[in-house]
Amino acid sequence: MRVESQPAYVLHVRAWRETSLLLEAFTRDFGRVGLVARGVRGARARLPRSLLEPMQALRLGWSGRGELQTLTTAEPDGPVHALRGDALLSALYVNELLVRLVARNDPHPGLFDRYAALLGELAEGPLLAWRLRCFERDLLAALGYAMQLGTAADTGAAIDPDATYDYLPEQGAVAAGSHPGGVRVRGSALLALDSGALPIAEDLAALRRLMRMLIGTHVGERGLQSWRVLAGPLRSG
Amino acid sequence: MTGNPDLLAELVEALRCLPGVGAKSAQRMAFHLLERDREGGARLSRVLGDAMQRIGHCKACRNFSERDECAICANASRDASLLCVVETPADLLAIEQATGYRGRYFVLMGRLSPLDGMGPQELGAGLLQQRLASGEIAEMVIATNPTVEGEATAHWLGQLARAAGVRATRLAHGVPLGGELEYVDRGTLAHAFGTRLTME
Repeated sequence: MRVESQPAYVLHVRAWRETSLLLEAFTRDFGRVGLVARGVRGARARLPRSLLEPMQALRLGWSGRGELQTLTTAEPDGPVHALRGDALLSALYVNELLVRLVARNDPHPGLFDRYAALLGELAEGPLLAWRLRCFERDLLAALGYAMQLGTAADTGAAIDPDATYDYLPEQGAVAAGSHPGGVRVRGSALLALDSGALPIAEDLAALRRLMRMLIGTHVGERGLQSWRVLAGPLRSG
Repeated sequence: MTGNPDLLAELVEALRCLPGVGAKSAQRMAFHLLERDREGGARLSRVLGDAMQRIGHCKACRNFSERDECAICANASRDASLLCVVETPADLLAIEQATGYRGRYFVLMGRLSPLDGMGPQELGAGLLQQRLASGEIAEMVIATNPTVEGEATAHWLGQLARAAGVRATRLAHGVPLGGELEYVDRGTLAHAFGTRLTME
């Protein structure tokens, strides 16, 4: 199979052999793909190495079949987002989310556009944690694990902003204390995530615990490396 | 390889652990040593064995060293108030050879990378914080690579320096010497333009 000029972002780069790179790329129409970029390191590189850095809008071409295909072309597709500091660390976290949760060769064009928009939002600066929570919500929905945020799972009643709930991974929000497990959140936090309206700090912290628990159920026991690796460097999110 | 005696097959297989060496090259190396250079092979095996056993990490900078403290850290004539942080021993050598830097180093042995499982702990954060807290260091030169992960690492190192009250500096990025603007990649050119210098 031969693919040309496919909108893509590199999620992760790893050196391979003497002059090659292994790329994990997120593409609009082919989902996450593994690519080998041959002869791109060193003085005689075929492509500028900077082009294959993560988090830049690219157009990639590749050929081959199976788990690892061969990169044939790469060109920039739009301006480079100036991700710095905590925004950059946040983007590294999001990249790990995509690598760990999105299966290879499973297209998610909507999620691709959402990711592209998120990088722009992160580059703008403030509200990193809130932007991450909204992206996590959309990621879970795109993968078929949409959260139920507007109604309680046990009664079917609309979420009361002043009530307290336990959010369970399989079911959703139930009255606090009625079932074991889950993460305790106020109704106002669930409604904020549902509508995308910025919650108060306390609710935002609860949503962080909630999303971590939900993501944890999908990535397996080891959890995300980012939780450990970025805990010190990234304080905000 | 089926007709070969076991020891030879094992030698070929062992040589394949070297980077860039596949089955064919490994076979060529093994035959070369056996046919033409037994002495060289014996020396290689002796030195390799010694090196694997005796080379560890310097207790101050984490670079490879056969002693507790490497030659650079033990050298009293080097400026102890300057600390240059690099990703790998190869980066350290590049700076040693290209610049007149006379301070000391700290080698991370990697870069911050969640997907590779490389975090503060793996990069020797504890040891680095100790050195920053010692009060001896006036400036930390952050010489991680200008890659996404290198920049993330630099950001984190900057935070450590700030927490310890140490001035942090970062290597400049720019147009390579002898380069032509027309052929410089866009990111580098944008960066060089953004951080342009006043003419003296």
